[in-house]
Amino acid sequence: MREKFLELAEEELQAVLEQARRLEPKAIAKLSQYCYPKAFSYIYYRVNDRSDAEDLTSEVCLRMMQSIQQQKGSFKGWVYRVASNVVTDFYRRRAVRSVVDPVAESVEEIADDRDESTQLLNQEQLKKGLSHLTDEQREVIILKFIEGYETEEIARLLEKSNEAIRALQFRALTTLKRILRTEKQ
Amino acid sequence: MKKDLEKIFDDCIDELRKGGSVESILAKYPEYISETKPLLELVQAMEQLPKPEPSADAVSAALVGIGEELALLRPVRHLVETSTVGRGQSPRLKKKRRSFFGRLFQQPRLAWTLSAAFALVLMFVAISTVSANSVPGDILYPLKLVTEKVSFLLTFSSERKAELRLTFSEERTKEIKRVLQKSGKLDEGLLDAMLTEAQSALEETPNDTSAIFLAKLNAVNTYQKDVLESFRPRVDSANEKIVNRAIGVCDMRGRWIRGMMHGSWDETPEHRLPAPRQERRRGEGRGWGPGCDWMR
Repeated sequence: MREKFLELAEEELQAVLEQARRLEPKAIAKLSQYCYPKAFSYIYYRVNDRSDAEDLTSEVCLRMMQSIQQQKGSFKGWVYRVASNVVTDFYRRRAVRSVVDPVAESVEEIADDRDESTQLLNQEQLKKGLSHLTDEQREVIILKFIEGYETEEIARLLEKSNEAIRALQFRALTTLKRILRTEKQ
Repeated sequence: MKKDLEKIFDDCIDELRKGGSVESILAKYPEYISETKPLLELVQAMEQLPKPEPSADAVSAALVGIGEELALLRPVRHLVETSTVGRGQSPRLKKKRRSFFGRLFQQPRLAWTLSAAFALVLMFVAISTVSANSVPGDILYPLKLVTEKVSFLLTFSSERKAELRLTFSEERTKEIKRVLQKSGKLDEGLLDAMLTEAQSALEETPNDTSAIFLAKLNAVNTYQKDVLESFRPRVDSANEKIVNRAIGVCDMRGRWIRGMMHGSWDETPEHRLPAPRQERRRGEGRGWGPGCDWMR
């Protein structure tokens, strides 16, 4: 499967960031195309509705552009923090619990070119399963297995020790396995 | 003991990511097999899940929003950057510059010239505001077109020129709607202008134009197609042919723009990029694909 969205090597990303800080339109467009899919996959598992996820991802790109001149340190971590704040604000505005409603019927399936019947797990099942975890556990699972972060990176992002992340990961996976097994039965 | 298990499990995940199989990894830790095997299988299933992907339309809409926000941010920043007063200049120099402006207005001829220029600018702004909603047949409509021409002539960057053309094209679309509501007739001249301006907008842009412009072009093209489709049932049979052809052109343009935006990755037949046309109309600008030209 070909990569559908823009990927940037670290060096290229730094060059684009430098131009984006000067608000150069081409660089801002490149950066948005680079960040959008990354922020989307994170937000997708944190909200119920696909169109909400797309709206919130657009908001992440807008906020990113508005404060790009102040951005320092790891860009990946910064985008994650912006996305996390956008989701928190979204639930604050809606004044509901910041989890996906486990009984919601509106969880949508994502178009996927694989045959889902052959998969052990699909996105919908995972989304429902994640809704049963605590906020911290869900965050660790999304960052580790959806976004592909390493334990040490997650520890830095969430300002916790490596041991705490490993403990959260283990407990989250145990709960998730139990829930998915129950759902299948 | 629990901490050991959590650490070992994390190491197992690392090995899994490096390409190891669940069985080969677990063979190293036989004492933990009952706890770790089901979890490692779950990890493997999660990592094999395709990433949720946003729709191309959502990304385009986001880019249009970013472009609009950027247009608001850039002039402010430009002013701040070009203003030398207050940015590290010595107070003495600041004082000197202020007194220079003070002296400027003490010279009557210069003061008159500046006042006349200011009045002209003010008149220009007033005319554009008043004539903004005019349509062909209104007294102010020619003034509106002159205002557009002047602003186009005073624009030197090809990117800004292309954006202006896009704005004019969008304006013609609104005018077509207003005329249709007013008289129930399709103004063919406006339809020509609408499609020709959009056509020139892309031809005007440099080859490395930003995705923000393409997203905006896509949004305007979709809007034009929607407008044309909405009034198709209301036009007579002679005009219906023209409208159908215009819708066809918008359709091809939409495919072409999406192809340019996502052509490097989108392989669906709907978005497959047609073979590029050899000739380019305006110097180095981008060109349209086959079926995208509007000719009467």
